[in-house]
Amino acid sequence: MPEWADPVAHYMLHEGLTATLRIAAYAVIGSTLIGVLLGTLLTIRFRPLQALIRLYVEVWRGLPILVTIFIVYFALPTTPVIHHRFGAITGASIGLILWGSAQVAEATRGAVQSIPSEQHEAAAALGFGWIGRHRSVILPQALRRLLPPLVSLLANIIQNTTIASLIGVTELLATGQRSIERLQLTPPGDSHAFAIYAALLVAFFCISFPLTRLAIYLERRLV
Amino acid sequence: MKRITIVAAAFLIAAAAFAAWGTAAPGGKVAALAGPTAKPKPAKPKLPALPSDVKKRKKWLIGVKCDFSPFGFIDVRGNNEGYDVQVARRFASLAFGNKKKVDFTCVTTPSRIPTLISGRVDIIVSTLTWTAARAEQIDFSIPYYSAVGRLLVPNASSLGLSSLGGKTVVTTRGAIYATWTANCFKDTKLLQVDSPALAVAAVKDGRADTFMFDDAFLLGVATQDRDLKLTGDKFLNVPWGIGIRKGDVAMSRWVNAALRYMKKKDEFVKILRANAPARLVPGFLDNVPRPKNTFAYPVGKDVASICP
Amino acid sequence: MTMVASFDWHFIWEHIPDFWTGLKATLKVAAIGIGGSLAIGIVLGAARAHRIPVLSWVAAIYVEVIRNTPILVQIFFIAGGLTQIPGHPIRLEPFTIAWLSVMIWGGAYNTENFRAGFEAVPWRYREAGLALGFSRLATFVNVTLPIGARIALPSSINTYVSVLKNTSLLTAIGFAELTDTAYSLESQSFKPTEVYFALGATYLLVVWTLSALVRLVERRLAIPETR
Repeated sequence: MPEWADPVAHYMLHEGLTATLRIAAYAVIGSTLIGVLLGTLLTIRFRPLQALIRLYVEVWRGLPILVTIFIVYFALPTTPVIHHRFGAITGASIGLILWGSAQVAEATRGAVQSIPSEQHEAAAALGFGWIGRHRSVILPQALRRLLPPLVSLLANIIQNTTIASLIGVTELLATGQRSIERLQLTPPGDSHAFAIYAALLVAFFCISFPLTRLAIYLERRLV
Repeated sequence: MKRITIVAAAFLIAAAAFAAWGTAAPGGKVAALAGPTAKPKPAKPKLPALPSDVKKRKKWLIGVKCDFSPFGFIDVRGNNEGYDVQVARRFASLAFGNKKKVDFTCVTTPSRIPTLISGRVDIIVSTLTWTAARAEQIDFSIPYYSAVGRLLVPNASSLGLSSLGGKTVVTTRGAIYATWTANCFKDTKLLQVDSPALAVAAVKDGRADTFMFDDAFLLGVATQDRDLKLTGDKFLNVPWGIGIRKGDVAMSRWVNAALRYMKKKDEFVKILRANAPARLVPGFLDNVPRPKNTFAYPVGKDVASICP
Repeated sequence: MTMVASFDWHFIWEHIPDFWTGLKATLKVAAIGIGGSLAIGIVLGAARAHRIPVLSWVAAIYVEVIRNTPILVQIFFIAGGLTQIPGHPIRLEPFTIAWLSVMIWGGAYNTENFRAGFEAVPWRYREAGLALGFSRLATFVNVTLPIGARIALPSSINTYVSVLKNTSLLTAIGFAELTDTAYSLESQSFKPTEVYFALGATYLLVVWTLSALVRLVERRLAIPETR
């Protein structure tokens, strides 16, 4: 390894990767919790509720993630809605959660609706109420069907954390860029942009590829 | 018993010396020094009370640039370094006696004011030029640096401020140079990017004819890069200040007192020397606050509308 | 609702021309990106579905690399990395970088869409074509393509809409599309609520209209069996 690469790798993995994984963790957990809840509620045949959740889903899936993050981080704090302090990592996480939860809600709706109605009828016949039958019969089956898309979502979210660099978060991509700048501005002033960007592609590939393979494997096992 | 007596005696002597120094300080503010225990360091300046958030937390949260050498950048060990960063560390040592008591958050030109307003950081020391528009959003400390605008061009270029018509100027998003170009050079195309390095790349790749930016950064680039040079034009000499949330009077008082102290002790020159190559330092001595000079913000004038 | 009362509608109204310029740039880049993705998707999707040697493998690698790396890194690689290849720097115009990067991204996803579509065409249709004396290429063009493309329609539409949304990331290289215009406007005017509300509304308008239009077309084009 060339001698300039060691400190760069150290910086990128220590500072950058940890920030990336932190944001991804918040985003996946938040998206899953909110998304599964909303998706389940979507299956209730109550028009106003369905319309409201449908609006949420269409808005956060329709907007580019960058625009969502701009709205959350730049616009929201200036309105009377939010009084809490939050930093760029939280802002990026919230933006990703809005998008991710919309994705999960759609997937959950599809998963729940794919459970055959016989399951509902059998559970009802056994004396389960709506909540009981969803909790004990429907959701466990639906969640199993949700696993492949959730794993894909994780891969997608990890990739989308790079958008946070555009609001100043020092995640993996940003640490790579700071290193490129540092190497260019200090003697001998070489540009290692090609190598560092290539390394970033490799790094993200190594994280994402196993996840997408896992998702395909899980999908196959379900059918 | 003997040990306690010695400690008590030392403490009393230090306290007496401190009191004597305090009352003898010219124009010193009669305010209590912050901190749970008054460390017997007679050299410590008398500063107003540290804002309660910072005091409770026992460390600073300061927003700095990470892509703007030599003011805020990341060194080879991955640590924040630069003129701004060292000013911030001096605040830590003035407040807590330890220059490590500060956590840095990287900010960019477009994100620094929102980051300050959101409360994520206490102050921003981030190459923040004073403008009337920004002064409506946040409060500025007294100046801590004064930059001059320059033009970076490829060596072969004969471009100058007077010949910008029809050309492309690149600068960072939201910078005073962007406003000035939009106001004063109506037939010049303006390209805005988010970091100075991207702007330099734009000039090198031919996507822009010139990079309009602060002299300190551009000089560093021109020194490093044989293919780029600065034109002779100098413009927009406006001081930089530390960004403070609007109405945060306690913070303004402390920061301004600290800056005045550093100015009196000529500490800014020391910081400049630590961050600029030796042969460039003489050219920048007039850009830093020194005991004998004064910087003032062009209040009441919209500098970005004053065209050459 | 003082928030509504203090919302500066006049500011948005004043800057509609700027937004329109940005939107035009977005649509131009998106159009080229979508067109290119369509072409790449059909060609490489067919190569993958028919297991054409060499091309199929190259396509597979292309697809996996693009789908498993962030598009923002791809954009920076094309804009900043390619210019630093030792010996053979590749310097591109911002507009070229723009449509090229979204097209490469869209093409990879579309290749998968069309591969799945072509592979879903029942074998008996292809058999029939070959039995009637069509060459393999003619069978593809006259049988597999029309049917497979219709099967792939929903997923490829998703990809095209995503291509449009991804153009927002081009602000990172300073390309003056819609998001970049809004971002620069906000950096000077300090009115984030107005600017980003207008930005969000514009994108939703464009994306929803596009999706709705396409869904209308899809309903008319859908294969009777799947309708």
